[in-house]
Amino acid sequence: MRKRFKMNINHNSEFELDLAPLLAVMVKLVPVLLLSSAFVQMMIIETELPQVVQEAIKQQENNPKATQISLEVNKQQGVKIVIHEGESDKVELVNNKDNKIDLETLHAKLVEVKKQYPEIFKIDLTPEADVSYKDLVSIMDQARKAKGSNLQFKFKDTKTGKESSTDYMFPEIVFSNVMDG
Amino acid sequence: MARRRFEVPIKRNQSFTLNITSMTDMFTILLVFLLQSFAAGEIHIDPVSGLRLPTSTSEKNPVIGIKLAISPTELRFEDKSIAKVNNQNIETAAMDPNDSNFIKPLFDELQKVNEKNEKLAKTGKILLQADQELPFSTVRKVMYTASMAGFPNVKLVTTVGN
Repeated sequence: MRKRFKMNINHNSEFELDLAPLLAVMVKLVPVLLLSSAFVQMMIIETELPQVVQEAIKQQENNPKATQISLEVNKQQGVKIVIHEGESDKVELVNNKDNKIDLETLHAKLVEVKKQYPEIFKIDLTPEADVSYKDLVSIMDQARKAKGSNLQFKFKDTKTGKESSTDYMFPEIVFSNVMDG
Repeated sequence: MARRRFEVPIKRNQSFTLNITSMTDMFTILLVFLLQSFAAGEIHIDPVSGLRLPTSTSEKNPVIGIKLAISPTELRFEDKSIAKVNNQNIETAAMDPNDSNFIKPLFDELQKVNEKNEKLAKTGKILLQADQELPFSTVRKVMYTASMAGFPNVKLVTTVGN
């Protein structure tokens, strides 16, 4: 007599998850990513600007009679903001605070200057020989863009004649005394 | 009755299970973090030993250019040291006696680039890493020499910060 072969189906079966391939991928990827990861993010001070701002800078460069703004940096005295308008010069001094450059006051004064001359985007920087590099970078940061999301400066687009607005202040900075002897 | 000697049963060829849950946990977290911060940029700038870059709010990524670095101890052109820096100043031996701002070895290296790599020379760009404590007079010498060699476009490398 044949015995009927009955298949035992276990509906509650468990299965083991094989993590070996996943672990293999991780062990290979982690050292590669660790070697190529950048824990110190480096940036550059560059002047890639919106087109209207670039046009305004070109216009300023082509017009020698245009108002020019320069920053004279002295380690002991502070920063002098000089506005060359025609034949007259307006000078404003930002004194040092605790023997360091008063960056907040400098930024506030530059905002005021920008409000008076919104079409000017270029500034000349004339530091003394003993001014430290980090102070110069800080000054450039204060001059580049307005802090605060609501601050915008309106100016006329030289190509279209339409009014544009930007939060850039003086992104084009030229070290005017580099070629001096 | 004699005592039975109690023999400890020693199982040979025993296997044991390795618990790798915590290792998998660690790898997963590390992998996610590294994938998120993976820098796949084209331009790679190697930090120079002993050089502390200033922080800036600039958000521009590095571009192609010649890499120069001034640390408190040396002036480097790409991966090569070309002059020593003593007391935050370029050594006198590297300076032109007729021009106090002219760095001879730097000018020579830039001239070689002008001759051999026209494509790079046309950009006129220099990526300058300088230690934050250096005075402007030292940085100015590098910028002056670079301008004289036809590289007036100096990009200042900074780290991200407020």
